[in-house]
Amino acid sequence: MSDYQPVLLANIHREDSHKLAVYEAAGGYRALRKTLREKSPQEVVGIVRASGLRGRGGAAFPTGLKWSFLPEGHPGPIYFCVNADESEPGTFCNRVQMEHDPHQVLEGTILSCYATRASTAYIYLRYEYPLAYRRLQDAIAECYEAGYLGKNILGSDFSLDIHIHRGAGAYICGEETGLIESIEGKRAWPRIKPPFPAVEGLFRKPTVVNNVETLTCVVHILDRGVEWFQSLGVPPDPDNPRDAGSYGPKLYGLSGHVNRPGVYELPLGVRCGELIEEYGGGVWKGRRAKAVVPGGVSTGLMSQSELDTPLDFAGPVSVGCLGLGTAGVVVLDETYPIIDFLYNSCRFFAHESCGQCTPCREGTRWALRILERIKGGRGRLGDLDLLAEIGEGIGIIPGTTICGLADGAAWPIKTALRKFRDELEDYIRRTNPTGYMATGPAEAVDVAEVA
Amino acid sequence: MSTTRRGLSERLVEEIEGLLPRYPTRRAALLPALHLVQEELGRVPHEAVVGLAELLGLKPAEVEDTLTFYGFFRQDEPLGRVRVWVCRSLSCSCRGGEELLEYLGQKLGIRPGQTTPDGRVTLEVAECLGACDYAPAMLADGTLHKNLTKGKIDAFVESIRQDASSGGLPGA
Amino acid sequence: MATIIIDGREIEVPDHERLNLIEAARRVGVEIPHYCWHPGLSVVGSCRMCLVEIGRRDPATGQVQMMPKLMPACNTPIQDGMVVVTDSPKVRRARAMVEEDLLLRHPVDCPICDKAGECRLQDYHFRYGQPERRGDVRPFSSRRQELGPRITLFVDRCILCTRCVRFTREVSGTAELMVRARGTHEQIDVVDGFPLDNKLAGNVVDLCPVGALGDKDFLYRQRVWFMRSHASVCTRCAAGCSIWVDENQDRIYRVRPRENPQVNRWWICDDGRYDYHHVHDPRRLVAPVCREGSGLVPIDWPELLGRLSDQLARARPLAAVFSPFLTVEEAYLLARYIRGLDPEALLVLGPIPREGEDERFPGGFTIAAEKCPNRRGVEKVVAHMAGEVAVFERLLSELDGGTIRGVWVSGGYRQEWIDATTAARFDGLQQLVVQDLFPSPLTERATYALPGAAAAERDGSYVNRTDQLQSVSWAVRPPSGVRPEGSLLWALLGRQRLYDARAVLREVAAEIGHFHVAAEPIPEVGVNLKVNLLARSEGPAGEAEGVRQTRPS
Repeated sequence: MSDYQPVLLANIHREDSHKLAVYEAAGGYRALRKTLREKSPQEVVGIVRASGLRGRGGAAFPTGLKWSFLPEGHPGPIYFCVNADESEPGTFCNRVQMEHDPHQVLEGTILSCYATRASTAYIYLRYEYPLAYRRLQDAIAECYEAGYLGKNILGSDFSLDIHIHRGAGAYICGEETGLIESIEGKRAWPRIKPPFPAVEGLFRKPTVVNNVETLTCVVHILDRGVEWFQSLGVPPDPDNPRDAGSYGPKLYGLSGHVNRPGVYELPLGVRCGELIEEYGGGVWKGRRAKAVVPGGVSTGLMSQSELDTPLDFAGPVSVGCLGLGTAGVVVLDETYPIIDFLYNSCRFFAHESCGQCTPCREGTRWALRILERIKGGRGRLGDLDLLAEIGEGIGIIPGTTICGLADGAAWPIKTALRKFRDELEDYIRRTNPTGYMATGPAEAVDVAEVA
Repeated sequence: MSTTRRGLSERLVEEIEGLLPRYPTRRAALLPALHLVQEELGRVPHEAVVGLAELLGLKPAEVEDTLTFYGFFRQDEPLGRVRVWVCRSLSCSCRGGEELLEYLGQKLGIRPGQTTPDGRVTLEVAECLGACDYAPAMLADGTLHKNLTKGKIDAFVESIRQDASSGGLPGA
Repeated sequence: MATIIIDGREIEVPDHERLNLIEAARRVGVEIPHYCWHPGLSVVGSCRMCLVEIGRRDPATGQVQMMPKLMPACNTPIQDGMVVVTDSPKVRRARAMVEEDLLLRHPVDCPICDKAGECRLQDYHFRYGQPERRGDVRPFSSRRQELGPRITLFVDRCILCTRCVRFTREVSGTAELMVRARGTHEQIDVVDGFPLDNKLAGNVVDLCPVGALGDKDFLYRQRVWFMRSHASVCTRCAAGCSIWVDENQDRIYRVRPRENPQVNRWWICDDGRYDYHHVHDPRRLVAPVCREGSGLVPIDWPELLGRLSDQLARARPLAAVFSPFLTVEEAYLLARYIRGLDPEALLVLGPIPREGEDERFPGGFTIAAEKCPNRRGVEKVVAHMAGEVAVFERLLSELDGGTIRGVWVSGGYRQEWIDATTAARFDGLQQLVVQDLFPSPLTERATYALPGAAAAERDGSYVNRTDQLQSVSWAVRPPSGVRPEGSLLWALLGRQRLYDARAVLREVAAEIGHFHVAAEPIPEVGVNLKVNLLARSEGPAGEAEGVRQTRPS
């Protein structure tokens, strides 16, 4: 166990940690005061770029680079969106931050708006976080009162308004252009890119969308400096020119079959097994892990033999997963059927597919139908190949859909089939002993029955 | 409740108009406005769709397009006084969330999506409540119920019964 | 100038042309399949049928570097040095997957589907799909839902391309259509009490790439493969939209917009779309009659041709009414004919039907208030022949004054155009020849009432309100007994062989400066007379807009 002292979570165990006075007493808004006094927006962008901070929301795109795509000298308005639509199954770190340390989120937002010259920020908050909503609301009110928000913040010529925009139960709103459409009052169908939001985003104006945890990292980068940030985590692989590295602290949300589920802050790169054993108190009921989701369901599965994998941005990829995702680590013990994982995951994505692109809309539902049939004891061995092919078509072949939701739907299928094929075949043989070899189309079902 | 010709009460119209300064377009107020309507009426009825369209400078089909996309809004059947979301995503499911969902459904005598005949509870399934650290979890209105067990569900159902019989629930 | 390579074929595109890859590929004869993209609508890139592989050619080395990601051709503008592959195994696989996906919940009820034969789902599946259907779900019915008075939706045939929804939001601006729900529960719908009912609504049926949207006017009336399509022009208003007239055995079943960037782009209005019904109206005049005593009796055409000119010549002073429904050629022949009988004959423009104001739609489409196709063309011919364009009222006052003894009236109006009181002012003429579509108070008074042709039955040219001249050929033959205006006048002028509108237009072009450009073959989209005049006014011919006094020979 490392002796790492949490930074992002340093405040959350204090009493009334969500209140301004407590946050300020712990050094809150120091970074904002200092930055507004000493740094120009360009300098802030430069610092964040130099830090190597990569987005914590799942795509791991370099934050400073994203900011630098904004058109120079734009007359405005420029909009800033905080992606607080945390909906990836297995992911809850943003919730903890917003509930227990809303001012840290706000300080990160204010700093990032200063850097990007945004004059209005919207926090897109999923509706299922009522406590976070109340805490953020109160914190915003405190900020206006204290001069951290509104006109001429802390006497500078920088002004900012922050509004909370609550979602309504749609996973796709976590996709940045889906989020933008949703704020605009439309169905959250992601936009085709280009144009990218930095050029034409919310209300057709330049827009930046950043994740909650990413913004809290910005606070500490500006407070403690680039060197501190890069002293944590994993530097880029010198042999891979495209690796942007995995610097900084990271919140790992541990859940599933572990003894101590919760949020753990560690430098990027902790080994999965270490996280489970040292921090999570090991797999529950004295069992062994069968599989682990490294970063939200959409990243797929790691098998027990892959638990040595470092949980940085490159680690899960090296064992055939989509990526680190949201670092929502879900542990599944040795008794948990992989077919249930697959079914659960496919049900989620079929339910949450926005229904815009053909392969995702139809493919996620098709995969679910097949899994329903397998679970109903009418599976066939050929179904597994078909599932693999559907997965390829919706999200493995790059570019088949507008956004990444379909990728997220495909990787659980792909990794489960690749790593747990024997178990799945056994399941089909066992549950459908007379028909598992059957080929050809399944029996016809009237659409009215299944709609 | 006084109703304006728009199918929205005066208070709602006022509240929705209060949202408008936050956004550069009237349409952007649609999602928060839908929340306000559903909070007050327990659903978003047809007249409110027409009313919102008029208020926000949209066509009724644009309002309904948005509202039906999100799983959150009800059009025809009003919600129960308590709306319960039981999470069925991986972290909750693997710790018994789906069994507890079924158990709660049996206790209430309804299936997910339905409302008890007395209008007290609407049962819903949630796709990840983001409370995986407290799995299995359930959200009842503004309250998160953590580390659910059958015992906790029993107690929850009992508390609703008592609230209802004592008239303690808002609107009861 | 951008040079790109599509499937090994090089194409150069000037910088000012902003083409996407679908459009660019078309130029080299490569069809990239697509459902959701339409040039007249915003780009959503959601059907994923137009995915292609894209790379770049290094100008120095000639080396081609392909990108791993499939890109939607619809949202990819051409760029110099771009290399596009539209038939790689990866592309074919992605297309086959989309096709298979689209059939998962589709009823495949082609035998009872109106779209069969012109359905992209059929055509693409045949070309890009796979022969086997592996899906579990086999819907075998297509729920039908009414969207409005004229449009019906077959819910399960829909592939959610959203063309129709975007059309009502972007072009008609009426936004009646919406997508309901999410994921596989999605369907196109309207809100209760707000049906799809606007003057451009019919276009959504043409836009629908599959059999989901049906036009109740056409539904179950004809298989598309039995119909022939004829390029034509809508005569419902002065906009002069380019259309296709789809007919089988001289019966029109459907009218669709014909793409014309100069006029209507991709759309037509419902007034024009359903206007064809008057062609098959049983009340039409279908046999020539002449007055005998107080009644009208049938006469055959040869007999009529033998005596009409003599009788008219004896009824001088003559006048002729030029309907704004006449083609340029017909107007010219009529003027020649009448002035041939009476060089001083009064030539007047027929009544110009107007309804309200021009109707403009957000997408730029306009329905003209002037409900006739060729006022401008007829006016120019009459102005040239008579030196002025007299209005109908002028004739009426001449009639009241008894200064006219013989009148030829060309009608062709598709609605009632003259009331009994006005018609009564034609009483007492020695000769009144009326050629029209429908009986009217005027045909009752005629000495000769002749059946005329509907626009779809005529050859000739129309000049719309922006001076675009379009030439069309007949799409259906007229009912037996009807002699189209052009053909009749051609014969009355003693010209040989069959009526040749093209030859007449060349004559017009040679004689009337305004039509000069029509001497050249007319392209399918027509030619703009005004633009050409402006271009020519630089040159020696100075009589452009002026009226030259030329007597018909």
